[in-house]
Amino acid sequence: MTHTHTLTQTLHETLDHTMPISPAQSRSLADGALDAPPVSASGLRVDFKGQPGVLANLDWTLAPGQVVGLLGRNGAGKTTLLETLLGLREPQAGEVRLFGQPALIPDDALRARLGYVPQQSALFEDFSAGDLLRYFRSFYPRWNDAKVDGLMSRWEIPRDRRVGQLSQGQQQRLSIIRALAHEPDLLVLDEPVASLDAAGRRDFLRELVDQVLDRGTTVLFSTHILSDLERVAFNVAFLSRGRIALHAPQDALAEEIRLLSGPVGRLQAAVDAHGGQVLGRRDLGEQPRWLVRFPDGRLPQGDAAMRCEALSLEDLFLELTQ
Amino acid sequence: MDADLLFSINPGSPEPIYRQLVEQLRRRIASGQLVAGEEIPSVRELAQALAVNPMTVSKAFGLMEAEGLVERRRGLPMVVAAQHQKAMKTRGRVELLRPALEKAAAEARQLELPPDQVLALFKALLEDQGEMR
Repeated sequence: MTHTHTLTQTLHETLDHTMPISPAQSRSLADGALDAPPVSASGLRVDFKGQPGVLANLDWTLAPGQVVGLLGRNGAGKTTLLETLLGLREPQAGEVRLFGQPALIPDDALRARLGYVPQQSALFEDFSAGDLLRYFRSFYPRWNDAKVDGLMSRWEIPRDRRVGQLSQGQQQRLSIIRALAHEPDLLVLDEPVASLDAAGRRDFLRELVDQVLDRGTTVLFSTHILSDLERVAFNVAFLSRGRIALHAPQDALAEEIRLLSGPVGRLQAAVDAHGGQVLGRRDLGEQPRWLVRFPDGRLPQGDAAMRCEALSLEDLFLELTQ
Repeated sequence: MDADLLFSINPGSPEPIYRQLVEQLRRRIASGQLVAGEEIPSVRELAQALAVNPMTVSKAFGLMEAEGLVERRRGLPMVVAAQHQKAMKTRGRVELLRPALEKAAAEARQLELPPDQVLALFKALLEDQGEMR
């Protein structure tokens, strides 16, 4: 562990009790201030044979220190998006920049700042777990042995066992340890819920909280099942029809989005009067339902003619990703 | 008090997590379970115990401080603010329930339920928390 890192931790222990932690503070305390956004994608287009528009002119930017949950149904293209963002897949159109550099031609310095936990761990099956970590260690300028040792024993992964003989869950936990070990500035996890049971998730979330507080790490994870994991995401983004349908702090979504139902004329009047943005509408049947965001925070009142409901994240997920 | 005993989160609620934290603290203070000078867990402790984003906890703490529920002390844990010496009077505590009950009352009227049945349900819920529904 470097001197800088220890100092950062100490400062944060103090800050913890005295002032709110902002990502900017975390960042300025972490070694190397970062100006360019960790992820900046513009005009991404990915077509598969027989399936055009898996990503359809997708624009997206992640700010430093954000923890973002990427929500989308099975088959919505979450893995394709994550792979494209990391430069592992070349889009038919558009460009991704990671910390200002083109994602498709990363240099060693950029690689060292990225951590990726794929859905299917593609670790070398014939290596022992310990050898595998030693192998990856050689590629990175920084490697947190204390963190690796702690997680290996807490997550009960035998170092001398061949990777191929570890259970699926153990393999994925090993993959998470590998991605955390070099202390990346951007950590991307594809469906981490799949590999972790409730206790494992809790432990993993503690690690994430530490990473965010100590290093200001930007974290992006995808999921198609809502679980306790989303709580750690200050921001959520919804992938639907090849685009990011919405990316906002969860608090703002809860406070600004309402599901209105009633006669169309009445809904339109409520939207106009309160500066609403209609995110989706279903005008079929007798009771049209509109999903509306009121960014000014001025909310219409429901009454006998019009219902106005707040939505849980799960309800919102269902409304936005169908 | 341990962080996970002091606060709990209902993830299925449309109420934002930071607001849930503020309201829970408000109720603990109103009932006298927490009094002036008692320490509040740190951002890190609470974020880890509840598995939520530290920024969410920070936001809740900011609001708690702005509302005079807690006080920050440089380099030390936050504490319940000095004016909260003892439990609020019953009359004041009941007022804290008003928003939730107003909402329930509006929904009861929309459902055109007779008041005595609504009251009976509420009474049953109060008395028998373990066997709801």
